[in-house]
Amino acid sequence: MRSPLVVFIFKIFGWLPVAFAAWYFAAPVLFWPVAVIVEFVARAGFANLVQGIEQAGATLVFATTLKPGGTTAQSAQITVDVDMLLYGFGLPLYAALVLSAREPGLARRMAVGYALLVPVVAWGVLADFLKTVAIASGPVVASQTGFVAWQRELIAFAYQFGSLILPAVVPAVAWVLTHRAFLERLKK
Amino acid sequence: MLRFFVTFVALLVVLFGLELTPWVQEYLVAPWTNAVAAASAGLVTLIDPAVAAIGKIIRSTANGFAVTIEAGCNGVEATIVLVAAMLAFPAPWSRKLLGIAAGIVAVQGLNIVRVISLFYLGQWNLQVFEWAHLYVWQALIMLDVLVVWLVWVRLLPSTGGPASRPGGPGGGSAAPASA
Repeated sequence: MRSPLVVFIFKIFGWLPVAFAAWYFAAPVLFWPVAVIVEFVARAGFANLVQGIEQAGATLVFATTLKPGGTTAQSAQITVDVDMLLYGFGLPLYAALVLSAREPGLARRMAVGYALLVPVVAWGVLADFLKTVAIASGPVVASQTGFVAWQRELIAFAYQFGSLILPAVVPAVAWVLTHRAFLERLKK
Repeated sequence: MLRFFVTFVALLVVLFGLELTPWVQEYLVAPWTNAVAAASAGLVTLIDPAVAAIGKIIRSTANGFAVTIEAGCNGVEATIVLVAAMLAFPAPWSRKLLGIAAGIVAVQGLNIVRVISLFYLGQWNLQVFEWAHLYVWQALIMLDVLVVWLVWVRLLPSTGGPASRPGGPGGGSAAPASA
Protein backbone atom coordinates (compact mmCIF):
# COMPACT_ATOMS: atom_id res chain seq x y z
CA MET A 1 0.00 0.00 0.00
CA ARG A 2 1.42 3.38 -1.03
CA SER A 3 2.34 5.78 1.74
CA PRO A 4 -0.15 8.69 1.98
CA LEU A 5 2.83 11.03 2.19
CA VAL A 6 4.21 9.74 -1.12
CA VAL A 7 0.78 10.13 -2.74
CA PHE A 8 0.57 13.66 -1.33
CA ILE A 9 3.99 14.57 -2.77
CA PHE A 10 3.04 13.25 -6.22
CA LYS A 11 -0.15 15.30 -6.14
CA ILE A 12 1.83 18.44 -5.31
CA PHE A 13 4.01 17.95 -8.39
CA GLY A 14 0.85 17.58 -10.43
CA TRP A 15 -0.75 20.73 -9.08
CA LEU A 16 2.34 22.98 -9.03
CA PRO A 17 2.51 23.66 -12.81
CA VAL A 18 -1.23 24.41 -12.88
CA ALA A 19 -0.93 26.71 -9.87
CA PHE A 20 2.07 28.54 -11.32
CA ALA A 21 0.32 29.07 -14.66
CA ALA A 22 -2.83 30.41 -13.00
CA TRP A 23 -0.73 32.62 -10.70
CA TYR A 24 1.27 34.10 -13.55
CA PHE A 25 -1.70 34.97 -15.74
CA ALA A 26 -3.89 36.18 -12.87
CA ALA A 27 -1.04 38.20 -11.29
CA PRO A 28 -2.43 41.68 -12.10
CA VAL A 29 -5.62 40.82 -10.22
CA LEU A 30 -4.00 38.71 -7.50
CA PHE A 31 -1.50 41.42 -6.64
CA TRP A 32 -3.90 44.37 -6.70
CA PRO A 33 -4.40 44.19 -2.87
CA VAL A 34 -0.60 44.24 -2.52
CA ALA A 35 -0.50 47.48 -4.48
CA VAL A 36 -3.19 48.94 -2.22
CA ILE A 37 -1.29 48.00 0.96
CA VAL A 38 2.04 49.25 -0.36
CA GLU A 39 0.52 52.56 -1.43
CA PHE A 40 -1.12 53.01 1.98
CA VAL A 41 2.10 52.28 3.88
CA ALA A 42 4.25 54.36 1.52
CA ARG A 43 1.99 57.39 1.83
CA ALA A 44 1.73 57.00 5.60
CA GLY A 45 5.40 56.32 6.28
CA PHE A 46 7.42 57.65 3.37
CA ALA A 47 5.38 60.44 1.81
CA ASN A 48 8.56 62.52 1.50
CA LEU A 49 10.05 59.89 -0.84
CA VAL A 50 7.07 58.68 -2.87
CA GLN A 51 5.08 60.90 -5.22
CA GLY A 52 2.92 58.15 -6.63
CA ILE A 53 2.61 54.41 -7.14
CA GLU A 54 1.18 52.71 -10.21
CA GLN A 55 0.53 49.05 -10.89
CA ALA A 56 1.56 47.85 -14.33
CA GLY A 57 0.59 44.19 -14.51
CA ALA A 58 2.67 42.40 -11.88
CA THR A 59 5.04 45.37 -11.49
CA LEU A 60 4.71 48.28 -9.09
CA VAL A 61 6.19 51.54 -10.34
CA PHE A 62 7.22 54.00 -7.64
CA ALA A 63 7.49 57.61 -8.77
CA THR A 64 9.81 59.18 -6.24
CA THR A 65 10.74 62.71 -5.26
CA LEU A 66 14.43 61.78 -5.56
CA LYS A 67 16.69 63.26 -8.20
CA PRO A 68 19.40 61.25 -9.94
CA GLY A 69 22.04 63.94 -9.58
CA GLY A 70 25.14 64.15 -11.73
CA THR A 71 24.72 65.81 -15.13
CA THR A 72 21.08 64.73 -15.47
CA ALA A 73 18.51 67.52 -15.84
CA GLN A 74 17.34 68.86 -12.47
CA SER A 75 13.72 68.18 -13.39
CA ALA A 76 14.43 64.42 -13.74
CA GLN A 77 13.11 62.19 -10.98
CA ILE A 78 13.83 58.61 -10.17
CA THR A 79 11.29 55.83 -10.66
CA VAL A 80 11.73 52.40 -9.15
CA ASP A 81 10.11 49.29 -10.63
CA VAL A 82 9.52 46.31 -8.37
CA ASP A 83 8.43 42.92 -9.68
CA MET A 84 5.76 41.64 -7.27
CA LEU A 85 6.16 38.09 -8.60
CA LEU A 86 9.58 37.94 -6.88
CA TYR A 87 7.88 37.99 -3.50
CA GLY A 88 4.71 36.15 -4.44
CA PHE A 89 5.92 32.68 -5.50
CA GLY A 90 4.52 31.37 -2.23
CA LEU A 91 0.97 31.75 -3.58
CA PRO A 92 1.17 28.92 -6.15
CA LEU A 93 3.09 26.79 -3.64
CA TYR A 94 0.36 27.28 -1.02
CA ALA A 95 -2.38 26.62 -3.59
CA ALA A 96 -0.69 23.38 -4.71
CA LEU A 97 -0.38 22.22 -1.09
CA VAL A 98 -4.05 22.95 -0.36
CA LEU A 99 -5.28 21.30 -3.55
CA SER A 100 -3.12 18.24 -2.91
CA ALA A 101 -4.36 17.79 0.67
CA ARG A 102 -7.95 18.20 -0.57
CA GLU A 103 -9.45 18.80 2.88
CA PRO A 104 -13.04 20.08 3.32
CA GLY A 105 -13.43 23.85 3.12
CA LEU A 106 -11.05 24.32 0.18
CA ALA A 107 -12.20 27.86 -0.59
CA ARG A 108 -11.87 28.95 3.04
CA ARG A 109 -8.36 27.52 3.31
CA MET A 110 -7.35 29.24 0.06
CA ALA A 111 -8.76 32.53 1.32
CA VAL A 112 -6.93 32.24 4.66
CA GLY A 113 -3.63 31.52 2.91
CA TYR A 114 -4.14 34.37 0.46
CA ALA A 115 -4.92 36.77 3.33
CA LEU A 116 -1.71 35.70 5.11
CA LEU A 117 0.47 35.92 2.01
CA VAL A 118 -0.61 39.30 0.61
CA PRO A 119 1.09 41.26 3.47
CA VAL A 120 4.23 39.16 2.93
CA VAL A 121 4.37 40.23 -0.71
CA ALA A 122 3.75 43.84 0.35
CA TRP A 123 6.64 43.62 2.84
CA GLY A 124 9.00 42.34 0.15
CA VAL A 125 7.96 44.99 -2.36
CA LEU A 126 8.28 47.85 0.10
CA ALA A 127 11.63 46.60 1.42
CA ASP A 128 12.88 46.22 -2.16
CA PHE A 129 11.92 49.83 -2.93
CA LEU A 130 13.55 51.18 0.24
CA LYS A 131 16.68 49.10 -0.34
CA THR A 132 16.94 50.49 -3.88
CA VAL A 133 16.66 54.15 -2.91
CA ALA A 134 18.45 54.03 0.46
CA ILE A 135 21.33 51.71 -0.41
CA ALA A 136 21.62 50.38 -3.95
CA SER A 137 21.23 53.60 -5.96
CA GLY A 138 24.44 55.12 -4.69
CA PRO A 139 25.30 57.95 -2.26
CA VAL A 140 23.83 60.80 -4.34
CA VAL A 141 20.35 59.29 -4.19
CA ALA A 142 20.71 57.72 -0.73
CA SER A 143 21.64 61.05 0.84
CA GLN A 144 18.32 62.53 -0.31
CA THR A 145 16.30 59.89 1.55
CA GLY A 146 17.36 61.13 4.99
CA PHE A 147 17.93 57.64 6.37
CA VAL A 148 20.72 57.36 8.93
CA ALA A 149 23.04 54.37 9.30
CA TRP A 150 20.94 52.28 11.69
CA GLN A 151 17.86 52.83 9.54
CA ARG A 152 19.74 51.63 6.45
CA GLU A 153 20.81 48.53 8.41
CA LEU A 154 17.19 47.92 9.33
CA ILE A 155 16.14 48.34 5.71
CA ALA A 156 18.85 45.89 4.62
CA PHE A 157 17.66 43.31 7.18
CA ALA A 158 14.02 43.84 6.23
CA TYR A 159 14.90 43.36 2.57
CA GLN A 160 16.94 40.21 3.19
CA PHE A 161 14.27 38.76 5.49
CA GLY A 162 11.51 39.77 3.11
CA SER A 163 13.16 38.23 0.07
CA LEU A 164 15.01 35.19 1.42
CA ILE A 165 12.80 33.95 4.27
CA LEU A 166 9.24 35.26 4.35
CA PRO A 167 8.06 34.42 0.80
CA ALA A 168 9.18 30.80 1.21
CA VAL A 169 8.35 30.18 4.87
CA VAL A 170 4.95 31.82 5.28
CA PRO A 171 3.12 29.62 2.71
CA ALA A 172 4.48 26.48 4.39
CA VAL A 173 3.57 27.75 7.86
CA ALA A 174 0.12 28.85 6.65
CA TRP A 175 -0.48 25.43 5.20
CA VAL A 176 0.63 23.64 8.39
CA LEU A 177 -1.60 25.87 10.51
CA THR A 178 -4.67 25.26 8.31
CA HIS A 179 -4.15 21.49 7.86
CA ARG A 180 -3.50 20.12 11.33
CA ALA A 181 -6.00 17.26 10.96
CA PHE A 182 -4.37 16.25 7.67
CA LEU A 183 -0.94 16.31 9.33
CA GLU A 184 -2.24 14.14 12.15
CA ARG A 185 -3.42 11.54 9.62
CA LEU A 186 -0.09 11.71 7.76
CA LYS A 187 1.75 11.08 11.01
CA LYS A 188 -0.13 7.85 11.74
CA MET B 1 0.92 24.62 18.39
CA LEU B 2 1.36 28.22 19.60
CA ARG B 3 4.54 27.32 21.49
CA PHE B 4 5.95 25.58 18.41
CA PHE B 5 5.08 28.53 16.17
CA VAL B 6 6.54 31.18 18.52
CA THR B 7 9.72 29.14 19.08
CA PHE B 8 10.08 28.53 15.34
CA VAL B 9 9.76 32.22 14.47
CA ALA B 10 12.17 33.26 17.25
CA LEU B 11 14.78 30.71 16.14
CA LEU B 12 14.33 31.77 12.52
CA VAL B 13 14.97 35.42 13.30
CA VAL B 14 17.98 34.66 15.50
CA LEU B 15 19.59 32.18 13.09
CA PHE B 16 18.97 34.42 10.08
CA GLY B 17 20.33 37.42 11.93
CA LEU B 18 23.45 35.45 12.84
CA GLU B 19 23.85 34.38 9.23
CA LEU B 20 23.97 37.99 8.11
CA THR B 21 26.84 38.94 10.45
CA PRO B 22 30.18 39.64 8.74
CA TRP B 23 32.00 36.90 10.68
CA VAL B 24 29.53 34.19 9.68
CA GLN B 25 29.45 35.45 6.10
CA GLU B 26 33.23 35.38 5.79
CA TYR B 27 34.06 32.15 7.64
CA LEU B 28 30.99 30.00 7.09
CA VAL B 29 28.70 31.17 4.30
CA ALA B 30 31.33 32.15 1.71
CA PRO B 31 33.36 28.92 2.03
CA TRP B 32 30.11 26.91 1.97
CA THR B 33 28.97 28.69 -1.19
CA ASN B 34 32.32 27.99 -2.86
CA ALA B 35 31.96 24.34 -1.84
CA VAL B 36 28.49 24.20 -3.45
CA ALA B 37 29.95 25.61 -6.67
CA ALA B 38 32.84 23.14 -6.58
CA ALA B 39 30.54 20.19 -5.87
CA SER B 40 28.16 21.23 -8.67
CA ALA B 41 30.99 21.65 -11.16
CA GLY B 42 32.57 18.40 -10.00
CA LEU B 43 29.35 16.48 -10.63
CA VAL B 44 28.79 18.12 -14.01
CA THR B 45 32.31 17.31 -15.23
CA LEU B 46 31.39 13.62 -14.98
CA ILE B 47 29.35 14.13 -18.15
CA ASP B 48 30.51 17.53 -19.42
CA PRO B 49 34.24 18.29 -19.02
CA ALA B 50 33.87 21.88 -20.26
CA VAL B 51 32.87 23.25 -16.84
CA ALA B 52 34.95 24.90 -14.14
CA ALA B 53 34.25 26.39 -10.73
CA ILE B 54 36.06 29.56 -9.63
CA GLY B 55 35.02 30.58 -6.15
CA LYS B 56 31.21 30.80 -6.23
CA ILE B 57 31.06 30.98 -10.03
CA ILE B 58 30.45 28.05 -12.35
CA ARG B 59 31.59 28.73 -15.88
CA SER B 60 31.35 26.88 -19.16
CA THR B 61 34.82 26.79 -20.71
CA ALA B 62 33.17 26.09 -24.09
CA ASN B 63 30.95 29.19 -24.44
CA GLY B 64 31.84 31.38 -21.47
CA PHE B 65 28.37 31.24 -19.90
CA ALA B 66 28.56 31.49 -16.12
CA VAL B 67 26.30 31.48 -13.09
CA THR B 68 27.22 32.88 -9.71
CA ILE B 69 25.78 31.42 -6.54
CA GLU B 70 24.44 34.25 -4.41
CA ALA B 71 22.46 34.46 -1.15
CA GLY B 72 19.26 32.48 -1.52
CA CYS B 73 20.86 30.05 -3.94
CA ASN B 74 23.42 28.47 -1.62
CA GLY B 75 20.80 26.54 0.37
CA VAL B 76 21.79 28.28 3.61
CA GLU B 77 18.45 30.01 4.24
CA ALA B 78 16.52 26.82 3.45
CA THR B 79 18.73 24.95 5.91
CA ILE B 80 18.09 27.63 8.54
CA VAL B 81 14.32 27.20 8.10
CA LEU B 82 14.59 23.41 8.46
CA VAL B 83 16.86 23.63 11.52
CA ALA B 84 14.51 26.13 13.18
CA ALA B 85 11.48 23.90 12.48
CA MET B 86 13.18 20.79 13.88
CA LEU B 87 14.56 22.53 16.94
CA ALA B 88 11.17 24.12 17.70
CA PHE B 89 9.18 20.87 17.39
CA PRO B 90 8.88 18.76 20.56
CA ALA B 91 11.08 15.70 20.01
CA PRO B 92 14.01 13.89 21.68
CA TRP B 93 17.30 15.68 21.11
CA SER B 94 18.82 12.63 19.43
CA ARG B 95 16.00 12.73 16.85
CA LYS B 96 16.42 16.47 16.35
CA LEU B 97 20.16 16.13 15.64
CA LEU B 98 19.66 13.14 13.34
CA GLY B 99 16.87 14.96 11.52
CA ILE B 100 18.97 18.08 11.10
CA ALA B 101 21.90 16.08 9.70
CA ALA B 102 19.70 14.16 7.25
CA GLY B 103 17.78 17.32 6.39
CA ILE B 104 20.93 19.25 5.54
CA VAL B 105 21.94 16.48 3.13
CA ALA B 106 18.47 16.48 1.53
CA VAL B 107 18.26 20.26 1.17
CA GLN B 108 21.81 20.72 -0.08
CA GLY B 109 21.43 17.77 -2.44
CA LEU B 110 18.41 19.36 -4.10
CA ASN B 111 20.16 22.72 -4.09
CA ILE B 112 23.02 21.27 -6.14
CA VAL B 113 20.41 19.92 -8.57
CA ARG B 114 19.02 23.48 -8.73
CA VAL B 115 22.43 25.00 -9.48
CA ILE B 116 23.21 22.46 -12.19
CA SER B 117 19.77 22.76 -13.83
CA LEU B 118 19.98 26.56 -13.87
CA PHE B 119 23.48 26.39 -15.36
CA TYR B 120 22.14 24.46 -18.34
CA LEU B 121 18.78 26.24 -18.57
CA GLY B 122 20.65 29.54 -18.84
CA GLN B 123 22.61 28.26 -21.80
CA TRP B 124 19.45 27.07 -23.48
CA ASN B 125 16.94 29.87 -22.89
CA LEU B 126 17.35 32.92 -20.64
CA GLN B 127 13.61 33.49 -20.19
CA VAL B 128 13.11 29.94 -18.95
CA PHE B 129 16.20 30.39 -16.76
CA GLU B 130 14.72 33.54 -15.18
CA TRP B 131 11.42 31.80 -14.48
CA ALA B 132 13.08 28.74 -13.01
CA HIS B 133 15.57 30.81 -11.01
CA LEU B 134 13.26 33.46 -9.58
CA TYR B 135 10.04 31.53 -9.03
CA VAL B 136 9.93 27.77 -9.59
CA TRP B 137 13.10 26.67 -7.82
CA GLN B 138 12.40 28.97 -4.86
CA ALA B 139 9.11 27.14 -4.36
CA LEU B 140 10.65 23.69 -4.91
CA ILE B 141 13.41 24.22 -2.36
CA MET B 142 10.86 25.28 0.25
CA LEU B 143 8.73 22.29 -0.69
CA ASP B 144 11.79 20.10 -0.08
CA VAL B 145 12.19 21.62 3.39
CA LEU B 146 8.51 21.03 4.17
CA VAL B 147 8.59 17.41 2.92
CA VAL B 148 11.78 16.62 4.87
CA TRP B 149 10.17 18.07 8.00
CA LEU B 150 6.94 16.09 7.41
CA VAL B 151 8.90 12.85 6.93
CA TRP B 152 10.88 13.55 10.10
CA VAL B 153 7.71 14.29 12.11
CA ARG B 154 6.15 11.08 10.75
CA LEU B 155 9.17 9.04 11.92
CA LEU B 156 9.13 10.48 15.44
CA PRO B 157 8.01 8.16 18.27
CA SER B 158 4.25 8.59 18.49
CA THR B 159 3.47 7.23 21.95
CA GLY B 160 4.91 8.21 25.29
CA GLY B 161 7.57 10.43 23.80
CA PRO B 162 7.92 14.23 23.79
CA ALA B 163 6.55 14.28 20.22
CA SER B 164 3.12 13.26 21.49
CA ARG B 165 2.96 16.23 23.89
CA PRO B 166 0.41 18.92 23.05
CA GLY B 167 1.97 22.04 21.58
CA GLY B 168 3.06 20.81 18.17
CA PRO B 169 1.08 20.03 15.04
CA GLY B 170 1.75 16.35 15.61
CA GLY B 171 0.95 16.29 19.31
CA GLY B 172 -1.62 13.95 20.87
CA SER B 173 -2.13 10.77 18.89
CA ALA B 174 -5.31 9.99 20.84
CA ALA B 175 -6.91 13.36 20.26
CA PRO B 176 -6.32 14.59 16.74
CA ALA B 177 -6.19 18.35 16.40
CA SER B 178 -8.50 20.01 13.94
CA ALA B 179 -7.49 22.63 11.44
